[in-house]
Amino acid sequence: MSNVELALWSFPVMLGLIFLRMPIGLAMLVVGVVGNFLITKSWNPSLALFKSLPYSTFSSYSLSVVPLFLLMGQFASLGGLSKQLFDAAASWLGHRRGGVAMAAIGACAGFGAICGSSLATAATMGQIALPELRKHGYSGALATGTLAAGGTLGILIPPSVILIIFAILTELNIAKLFVAAIVPGLLAAIGYIIAIAIAVRVRPGSAGAPYPRVPYLERFRRLASIWPVLLIFFLVIGGIYFGWFTPTEAAAIGAAGTAVIAFLRRGLSRASFIDAMLQTAKATAMIFLIILGAAALNNFLALSQLPQAAVNLVIEQGLDPWAVLIVMLVFYLVLGCFMDSLSMILLTVPIFYPIVTALDFGLPPAEFGLWFGILVLIVVEVGLITPPVGMNLFVINSMSKGTSMGQTFVGVTPFLISDIVRTIILVAFPAISLFLVQWLY
Amino acid sequence: MDNSVVGRAVFWLARSTAIGGGVALSVVVVIVVVSVIGRALIPLGLGPIQGDFEMVQAGVLFAVFAFMPWCHLERGHAIVAIVTDRFSPRFGALAEFIWDLLMLVAAALVAWRLWAGLFDKYGNGESTFILRVPLWITYSGGLVGALVFVVAAAYCVVRSGQNAASRAPTKPISGMGE
Repeated sequence: MSNVELALWSFPVMLGLIFLRMPIGLAMLVVGVVGNFLITKSWNPSLALFKSLPYSTFSSYSLSVVPLFLLMGQFASLGGLSKQLFDAAASWLGHRRGGVAMAAIGACAGFGAICGSSLATAATMGQIALPELRKHGYSGALATGTLAAGGTLGILIPPSVILIIFAILTELNIAKLFVAAIVPGLLAAIGYIIAIAIAVRVRPGSAGAPYPRVPYLERFRRLASIWPVLLIFFLVIGGIYFGWFTPTEAAAIGAAGTAVIAFLRRGLSRASFIDAMLQTAKATAMIFLIILGAAALNNFLALSQLPQAAVNLVIEQGLDPWAVLIVMLVFYLVLGCFMDSLSMILLTVPIFYPIVTALDFGLPPAEFGLWFGILVLIVVEVGLITPPVGMNLFVINSMSKGTSMGQTFVGVTPFLISDIVRTIILVAFPAISLFLVQWLY
Repeated sequence: MDNSVVGRAVFWLARSTAIGGGVALSVVVVIVVVSVIGRALIPLGLGPIQGDFEMVQAGVLFAVFAFMPWCHLERGHAIVAIVTDRFSPRFGALAEFIWDLLMLVAAALVAWRLWAGLFDKYGNGESTFILRVPLWITYSGGLVGALVFVVAAAYCVVRSGQNAASRAPTKPISGMGE
């Protein structure tokens, strides 16, 4: 068996192990080390590699942004900002039909602007918005579907941990990727609100009573009360964009800012601080095990020369670039039904990215990378709300007593349709993702 | 968490290590903020902290290693349970036992090689670029978490082994992190 064939076979083997419940990061690591052995016929290269690989991965300055953004999200949850975001959104949207659910989406979008993680957004907003939705008589299906989908805005609206990892893998500029994600992220929020508006008209029973209409003066007053969110968002994103500080520094400043807010609002006790540390620990370790596994795997793949072989194959075959892109996006959607977004990105981007950059989509290479990044971000995030194992669905469902998993699956359907429609629009019109970057740079 | 003396001790150790890592991360936040403010106030005669990059790297290295045991103990790693959940609880329990065993091997490999790396750096006297901190010291920071990870992984092997061998094994529940 040639090395390229060996690398090709390693994928079904690895997926088999993963589906047998093997931790994904561990599966990548084991396949990487064993694959390396099968190519070099010796364990020594791996032993030498592991002298430095965990050290250099865990002490990487560019990756240090990940735990800092996770910490920022934890502090943001403690600050009570979610309640204010919800009140502000409710004053603008709450009087409409399905308005309480729309307000929940609006609040999720606001929280997504200071939180780079999807589950943290879903869980934090769920605590505030689920009781409101149920109190107003919304069906369990629509309530849980709304919040599960709204949670994905945590990642779709920058800052976003997934985008950071994508930027590191592809050596793209993080600031530009964040800027490129802003408009598609807002489109996602608008698309979800439209999905609610349609869903409550198709099934009038699912929506409950709206809020009373709020006068405009009060609306602006409530909007003004969320200024800390806007300040931190502009400090973090603007700071990276204007080059005031590195992404790592921006994340640290964001973490400090949200910590100060949590402290001032008395959300920061000894117990809640320790809890925030332990949550950050769990999320960080999960991500870094996958990153370490992916590093070992990619060492093996590079040795096997599979990525180059794949590029050559696609070019020789003269495949239609758009067909290749669509197959990849559909692949992400299918895989996303079973696997978490970060694992998918780390597993596929080292292979897929060289292939798509070798194809001609009529875009300059730098801009193409940004566009592809946004598309991948969106399709892997859909995986968080697709049955059977969308993690957001489980988090929100466990918070809503008396709602079955089946009802949640039904409730999320309008949002899935909205996701698909948005993906098609963004594929067809790259300018939606790119014009802000072109305009600002 | 089980209530045996060993179980409680391992949990306490992993939890304390994780909190220690979290505190290190918080210290990193403070260092960065002070350094950025100092850099912004250069006209007033202040300046950034010398070697702040290196402090961030060392702090995050310590923290990430320190987070590993807690995550594993809490079954926080990303897994796909959809297939094994369709079989009997014993099947899932057995799978968890095997992967816990492999995780112990991986944890031991990482700790052992980190130790070897530390030894290399001790021998050649390499140090960080600006602060001139010997690299074996930053390696030692990582080794703390790596060693606790081995202890926690060994405990998990016993935990899942007992479960898999018991008369009525329980289905392992994943408490996936973020």
